[in-house]
Amino acid sequence: MKGFGYLAKEGLRNVWNNRIMSIASVCVLVSCLVLTGAAALFSINVAQVVESVGDSNETTVYLKSDVSRLEAVYIGKDIEKLDNVVSTEFLSKEDALEQYKDELGDELFAQIEDRNTLPDAYVVVMEDLSLYDDTVAKIKSIDGVDSINDHRELAKKLTEISNLINIICVGVVSALMIISIFIIANTIRATMYSRRFEISIMKSVGATDSFVRMPFLIEGVVIGIVSAAVSTGAISLLYESVMSAITSMIPFSYIPLSNVVLYVSAAFAAAGIIVGFFGSFISIRKYLKKEGNEILGW
Amino acid sequence: MIDFDNISKIYPNGTHALYDVNIHIEKGEFVFIVGSSGAGKSTFLKLIMHEETPTSGEITINGKKISKLKRRDIPYLRRHMGIVFQDFRLIEKMNVFDNVAFAMRAVGESSATIKKRVPYVLDLVGLKNKMKDKPSELSGGEQQRVSLARALVNNPEIIVADEPTGNVDPEMSHEIIELLNEINAKGTTVLVVTHEHDLVREFHQRVITIDHGRVIADTKDKRVSENPFAVDDFTDDPHYPDNAVVLPD
Ligand SMILES: Nc1ncnc2c1ncn2[C@@H]1O[C@H](COP(=O)(O)OP(=O)(O)OP(=O)(O)O)[C@@H](O)[C@H]1O
Ligand SMILES: [Mg+2]
Repeated sequence: MKGFGYLAKEGLRNVWNNRIMSIASVCVLVSCLVLTGAAALFSINVAQVVESVGDSNETTVYLKSDVSRLEAVYIGKDIEKLDNVVSTEFLSKEDALEQYKDELGDELFAQIEDRNTLPDAYVVVMEDLSLYDDTVAKIKSIDGVDSINDHRELAKKLTEISNLINIICVGVVSALMIISIFIIANTIRATMYSRRFEISIMKSVGATDSFVRMPFLIEGVVIGIVSAAVSTGAISLLYESVMSAITSMIPFSYIPLSNVVLYVSAAFAAAGIIVGFFGSFISIRKYLKKEGNEILGW
Repeated sequence: MIDFDNISKIYPNGTHALYDVNIHIEKGEFVFIVGSSGAGKSTFLKLIMHEETPTSGEITINGKKISKLKRRDIPYLRRHMGIVFQDFRLIEKMNVFDNVAFAMRAVGESSATIKKRVPYVLDLVGLKNKMKDKPSELSGGEQQRVSLARALVNNPEIIVADEPTGNVDPEMSHEIIELLNEINAKGTTVLVVTHEHDLVREFHQRVITIDHGRVIADTKDKRVSENPFAVDDFTDDPHYPDNAVVLPD
């Protein structure tokens, strides 16, 4: 386009001249983007955890409480005989309680120790997970086996939670997106209002609509890009600290930021540009339809 | 060059601003448009600039029917016209040079062309030495000359001026019309709305008289030029100019 350099300069000048509104727009858009980004990062981490849990070939088999130690040994042998089972490891109810010792504290632990209602269990490692259901059914049919801690159940639960969070986020994010577009539209409208005199002159000397529009579109897009950059910075800072806080409570290996930062910033940039563009586009349309003194409100 | 064929204009609020106007203006003409306040003079110019569209009738400009014009063609129509406003419409924070350059930038001219063309046009209107001044530092007449330079800078075929002398003192008014006359002498069509009898009298040109939305006279006759606002007095006169368009009430 002829004179693009001039129009780009005008667009940047608009951002600066209208800086209070520009900053407000950036803030709203940043909060929107950071929320979206956080939700996305959360769900990919859950997905990763689900995958690792689902793929783990360790399955805990709980035994009925009336099974004696000797019977338990035979049950263990029966399990080990199954084709798909690689190894079994006995986890007595004392061992199981021991795992909770730290959390319970010595005093409480001493009280509970005598009334241990935890079941004895076997940790079973399977070879081929595609035969999982089949193997589980066979284990369940062994006398004295009570239940099986199906990791798939856990995986399913986590996925459900993650889906729910995603749905909520989609709702919140679309609301914020609409608000962002609205705020940007208002910002651009304010700029257009302050420049209505120039606009009326441009139109009277024969400037095309796209020419009149360009600086304002640039203004919107610049707001979008700045927001995307700020959001990328904010989420990078937040991610590492939030993740190290979470993993100190629930240890799991989260996806390192460096793996995703490129996608996150690209998505932010795209979203920022789209929101900025549409925000300004809708407010300009109204103005471009006006002619002469109408623009000036006379 | 400009053809009004049975033009009527009714504003959305119901004001009937023009009735059945038939006007033909040739390339290179100089036309005064006179009439009392609210007669419809500005409406007439706005129809030419496509700021308003006629309610009925057809306007043809440079052989193009305005009713056939698409929205995106309008800017290109306007590039054939230079518009001068009564209130100058200069951008206060820009200096004289930038005000004139603004019109060139708006149509996407390169800075190299702008740097050459703007001083040339400012020289034409006698303001070459005021290029760096702000509009607020200029007299009314000088401001109007800047506005005129801006109208001229894109080399229009038509200059449309709505009361260009309304906000300048009489001496300056004379100068402005003199300038428009010079521009007209170089082949540009000039349309000027004015309330100033003296100017119409002094520059003996075609005069279109509008009254209550009707063209009641359109002539170069001396008697109209000399007393443009008393045209009603002639309409009863048996010697009323033959070429004048007289419409019944
Ligand atoms: N945008 C508009 N909406 C409604 N009515 C209008 C509009 N513009 C002008 N009019 C009316 O149309 C009529 C003609 O107005 P116009 O501005 O053409 O008059 P004019 O001859 O230029 O008057 P003046 O000498 O005072 O400038 C007037 O009655 C005016 O009130
Ligand atoms: Mg008027």
